[in-house]
Amino acid sequence: MASRDVVTYETPLTKLIRVLSVVFLALYLVWTLLPFFIMFISSFKDLLAAFKLPAVGDWSDIGVFFDFTPTLKHYRSLFEDNAFGTYTMNSLIAAGGSAVISVIFGSLAAYSLSRVNFRGKSDLFFWIISTRMAPVVAVMVPLYSIFRSLDLVGTLPGLILAYTTFNLPFAIWILKGFFDNVPYAIEEAQMVDGATRFQAFRSILPLVAPGIGAFIVLCILFAWNDFLFAAIIGSGGAKTLPVATRELVQPQNIQWGAIMAAGVITTLPMMALGLVIRKYLVTGLTMGAVKE
Amino acid sequence: MASVNIRNVWKYYGDMPAVKNLNITCPDGSFVSILGPSGCGKSSTMRMIAGLEHISAGDIHFDDLRINDLAPKDRDVAMVFENYALYPHKSVYENIANPLRLRGATDATIRERVNGAAKLLEIAHLLERRPHELSGGQKQRVAIGRAIVREPKLFLFDEPIAHLDAKLRAHMRGEIKHLQRTLGTTMIYVTHDQLEALSMADYIAVMHDGELQQWGTPSEIFNNPVNAWVAGFVGEPAMNFLTCDIVAAGSDVSLRHANFDLPLLSSQITQLNGSSKGGAARMGVRPDALSISMEKPEDRAIRGQIFVNELLGGDMLVDVSLDDCRIRVKTTPDFAGKPGETCYVTVNRSKWHVFDAKDGHAYF
Amino acid sequence: MTDLTEKSPALQDVAAKLFRARSHSIEVEARPRTEVLEKPLTFNPPAPKRYYFYLMAPAIAVLAFISLYPFFWLIFLSLQDVDIGGGEWVGFDNYIRLFSDSRFINGWTLLLKYSVICLTLQLSIGVLLAVVVNNSRYERFLVTALLMPMMMAPAVAGLLWLFLYNGTFGWYHWLMQSVGILDSASILARADTALLAVIIVDVWQWTPLITLIALAGLKRVPRDQLEANMVDGASPMRNFFSITLPNLYPVLLIAVLLRFMDNFRFIDSLLVLTGGGPGSATKILPVYLFEVAFKFFKLGRGAAIALTLLLVTIILGKILVRVFENPKAGRS
Repeated sequence: MASRDVVTYETPLTKLIRVLSVVFLALYLVWTLLPFFIMFISSFKDLLAAFKLPAVGDWSDIGVFFDFTPTLKHYRSLFEDNAFGTYTMNSLIAAGGSAVISVIFGSLAAYSLSRVNFRGKSDLFFWIISTRMAPVVAVMVPLYSIFRSLDLVGTLPGLILAYTTFNLPFAIWILKGFFDNVPYAIEEAQMVDGATRFQAFRSILPLVAPGIGAFIVLCILFAWNDFLFAAIIGSGGAKTLPVATRELVQPQNIQWGAIMAAGVITTLPMMALGLVIRKYLVTGLTMGAVKE
Repeated sequence: MASVNIRNVWKYYGDMPAVKNLNITCPDGSFVSILGPSGCGKSSTMRMIAGLEHISAGDIHFDDLRINDLAPKDRDVAMVFENYALYPHKSVYENIANPLRLRGATDATIRERVNGAAKLLEIAHLLERRPHELSGGQKQRVAIGRAIVREPKLFLFDEPIAHLDAKLRAHMRGEIKHLQRTLGTTMIYVTHDQLEALSMADYIAVMHDGELQQWGTPSEIFNNPVNAWVAGFVGEPAMNFLTCDIVAAGSDVSLRHANFDLPLLSSQITQLNGSSKGGAARMGVRPDALSISMEKPEDRAIRGQIFVNELLGGDMLVDVSLDDCRIRVKTTPDFAGKPGETCYVTVNRSKWHVFDAKDGHAYF
Repeated sequence: MTDLTEKSPALQDVAAKLFRARSHSIEVEARPRTEVLEKPLTFNPPAPKRYYFYLMAPAIAVLAFISLYPFFWLIFLSLQDVDIGGGEWVGFDNYIRLFSDSRFINGWTLLLKYSVICLTLQLSIGVLLAVVVNNSRYERFLVTALLMPMMMAPAVAGLLWLFLYNGTFGWYHWLMQSVGILDSASILARADTALLAVIIVDVWQWTPLITLIALAGLKRVPRDQLEANMVDGASPMRNFFSITLPNLYPVLLIAVLLRFMDNFRFIDSLLVLTGGGPGSATKILPVYLFEVAFKFFKLGRGAAIALTLLLVTIILGKILVRVFENPKAGRS
């Protein structure tokens, strides 16, 4: 059994590189995580404390950042004065609904695309995937007209359908990769053993279930984080968290504490989900091109 | 149990024929091996029998039942796949029980049958494991267990032991053959390994390029190949081929080559058809129909030079260089010739074959 | 290295004979005795594949409704002068006017500039980071930390950075002022720095994606190549440039194309941060399109702009799919 890593030998140069890379890593971590930290802390500051800033160039006074009494009033006001409870529900229903629809229809289509060959298959496949890649703003114009004529604007079903425009092709594309990895022989064995075509399909579902589960989560993530569709198709009756957060920015009176609190509410669940499906995240974000 | 009749069967993939006008009849209870190199259409044939491929043209019957349009589950066959195709998320027990469950057997029956099959295959201690915890040989037994747990009309084995190591393969050959004899069920066994086919089957169908080359018992295939291709494919070490001229002198006919001029036996002369006398032909002779010595044993012995010796335990193979080609001779390990030395090769003419130079079919 | 041709004639002779020995395995044209027909007399009826089409149908129907139908609607719209009041057929007028629309051309230039700068920064930092993370003992933790920005809704990220950049109480503004890069005006308020500000946000949020992709690529650099090269005398540095990096090209190409198209797709954070301003300093094409369609409700003109954007995306997508199918193609 060979060792896992390629052997390296110590030289002064490699030592220097090692030190430099630790410094680089530390800097990058600060750069990546500091905004989260500021957001999180600021969501517990009341208005005055949030505006406290040292004088320009006064590095010694940097501790003023921590000079505040934590308050939960922003969180409270979001749910009491503002309807963030409803918005959270809207986000959940729209994201979850579109994810479930996409994965159900998507897995059926992905399965057939994986198992059967026919003329024009690659064209069909390209059409499906280009639907996913199309710029949101570009399709928004006609989609809005169509949705308006169907009275879907400002409704949750409308928003679910809108999210399906990008989640369904994504699901088909990714799930096809999953089904491709399941040997067809397993289904054939099932059929020879006495299963119908549909029973054979059902019998391999447990094999792709972890992947399907992860991609329901990814679809939720994409839909949850969407802003444009929610702002336009959902405007009115189906306000989601990102839109509601954005609306806290008023021309005269920007409620930064509330915005940071809303940001925490919007971001935390997705971070948790992201950690749960970490294994599939790279595959998902690169549309299956790169597997971890 | 059933006999299998394959009538004028074709398989097309797009415009490419993979199986061409195949006709085979497998008698009830027999062990039939379909033998051929990869891409010869043998797997397509088996998959058509199983119902996994559409039959492009022709019919397949089990006894009198035409099964072309039956779904695999209604054909009552059991199949062992090349890569075993076990269900990775199920235990060995559930894998073997699967065909019974799908056919609605009771739990008690299932337990009894699965345990019986496991005992027969000596995997009773593995029933709780998952396929990924098994070795190749064990997986293969589980796959066989899944096939024998119910009593199908027909067994289909698709290169089931191709991925095992040589020793285990030799062991499994005996076991599978014994199993088929015990159960008495018709078996179709696809393989590219001529040794498997020769050692196990009652009948062999040799396929090449989608066409059936020869159908017969192992000894017929080995001793009377119908053409040069079958002769070259079957037998290890492979048959020697030499291009010769057929020369007729009066009632005698002989094979002439740069190194020799050997007369045919009188029974063989009658098997040549008239037109071929006097043309080119290919002579084929297996290494074990040749003998080698360092002294000239008789006038007809062929003079050559030893090129290399290979000692294979109980046998020795000697490659002998003639003027323009090389032939391989099987002899005993005590043969003392060294490479480069002159030697003499004697042909056992009752065991040689002559093939048409153009289409390769065998005169005898 | 040994070269057989330099050796003794005897060895050469053996080599020659070995080659001849190969021809000794026979290939005789073999025909079975029974004549094989060229074609079957009658074919069986083809096997039904309908089953699969039923499975595909719902997804295709939904997609047709939300993608194909809007697409033709878009073409139809682009040939009209439509606003809230109604439409009037104008033929190709919308397209012709695009050529003289400086904000349209400006939109494309800015989009390209924005994308190229973003990608250059993300690629260089991202790959470097991947190499460092790959050699680190704390890889799992680091990757987890890197994931965080990608989990954030781009609109929320925009708001967060709006807060950080704020000219009166933003901490990053204070930082930049203190080190002397900025005067009192916010980085977002000045036409010459606003684009940089939105680029920074994109780099913050999406460099980790490049890192993760590169990391996955690094794991798959064939070990034997690295070792063979080392045995042949290459230094680790040389190894990186001659083996590791070329092996990364295919995945990086995918990463670049994906990010490029995402820059076309997503304008959430940019809309929140600057809305295209100040002036038109950050009005990349999708933002301009958004403005035309949803601020001025010039749906016809918007449709024409959208179609140009779609066209470029489709071309990029074609390239991407080709790279997907044949990753090696990206290396030449």
